[in-house]
Amino acid sequence: MKLSFWRKSSIAILSVAVLNLGMASAASAAIVATDTLVTTDREADLSVVRSQIERADVRAQMEKMGVDATAVDHRIASLNDRELHRLAVDMQNAPAGGDVIWLVGAVFVVLIILELTGVIDIFKKA
Amino acid sequence: MEKRAAVIAARFAFPIAVAVLLSACVTRAPFIPANIVAGARPHVELDATPFFAQSRYQCGPAALASVLAASGTDATPEALVPVVYIPARHGSLQVEMQAAPRRFGRLSYLLPRNLDSILAELNAGRPVLVLHNYGLPIWPRWHYAVAIGYDAAKDTIVMRSGQKKRREWRARTFMVAWHNGGRWAMVVLRPGETPVSADPKLYLHAAADFERAARPEDSAQAFGAAIERWPAEPVAWIGRGTAEYRLGNFAAAVRDYATAVRIDGTQAGARNNLAQALLDLGCPRSAREQADRIDVGTLETSLRDAVTDTRQHAQAAITASAADDPVVCASSLGGL
Repeated sequence: MKLSFWRKSSIAILSVAVLNLGMASAASAAIVATDTLVTTDREADLSVVRSQIERADVRAQMEKMGVDATAVDHRIASLNDRELHRLAVDMQNAPAGGDVIWLVGAVFVVLIILELTGVIDIFKKA
Repeated sequence: MEKRAAVIAARFAFPIAVAVLLSACVTRAPFIPANIVAGARPHVELDATPFFAQSRYQCGPAALASVLAASGTDATPEALVPVVYIPARHGSLQVEMQAAPRRFGRLSYLLPRNLDSILAELNAGRPVLVLHNYGLPIWPRWHYAVAIGYDAAKDTIVMRSGQKKRREWRARTFMVAWHNGGRWAMVVLRPGETPVSADPKLYLHAAADFERAARPEDSAQAFGAAIERWPAEPVAWIGRGTAEYRLGNFAAAVRDYATAVRIDGTQAGARNNLAQALLDLGCPRSAREQADRIDVGTLETSLRDAVTDTRQHAQAAITASAADDPVVCASSLGGL
């Protein structure tokens, strides 16, 4: 059976996940896990280092952005590496759903009228 | 003469343009009927969806609390502010909105970027968290709301939004805001639920993300639902195997991993996990045999290290005991 790249990579990710879990649960294996981490080659080291740097980076950014320091650890712990990476890269500019003030409402009404009357057609491509 | 024609043209251009545009408006097709799945109800409103009026800037916690509470958790906006709100951004980020449900024992699933998947979830009784943009591309103003219903006859969508418990919008208006917001929509799922429109790949991604924070029994249910729906997906079996492993059910873990390997024998990771589970089941010889069938030459470093590790452990266990593997090993492997 030929499997897609996605499947292969998912399997690899899940495998590593179960491996870590397994090592955490068995005492003898836990020692090997630490050993494995220390002796990984440069490539693996880099990815570990990257995620550690990103973790620290996101923590610093969050604190700077006013998130309570005691909450930051929990928030970072609940993110996987992929999510952490997205935050590290784009926390300043990523969409942040918040409030709607009257001025926004006015702009939106104009937008809707333009759309309705066909002056613009935002769904053309979609 | 030319100048006069231009003046006349200019005088008439505006009314003509308006007329053309208005006629264009009339011909625009409704959204809901075209996107509703066959057999779906024409009118849905999930009245029981809890409503939490948002505080300033905090539509994220309020909207998230709404879908989480609808899914049977005790989430409140107050509890979610420290989880998803970023004061300096005056809002909440999608990544964190997506990660937060895991803390409440729920999976989050991003819907495909089309209206029919939102309508299908609503028809199935599941409110949908959406991101709207009420600004312009160069001046975006983001807002989270919860879609709780639709009406095909009126071509409207009903929402819980901001401080309004019930807001009914023309579907087109909803679509403009949703489209400009990047068509982001999310549902939260109890372990064992799968979305109507679920794509196996996306669902398994969500389940794998869930696994990280989930109790193993919840994780087993989440992957179990995937097995039921897509039995040919090796990842579904691997995921449940992992959950069983964490629960200490090594025979069940071996059975699930073995199924994954039967589906795709080239998977080094699945086979390595199988070997690891066999080892914990007390089957070092079977474990070694499975681990030896992995071709480590092509593997990335971390996986290769893991396999080497498993082999060494299996060998050590074999050396320590002269006894053959018990019967349970072969029976769990199912002839693999």
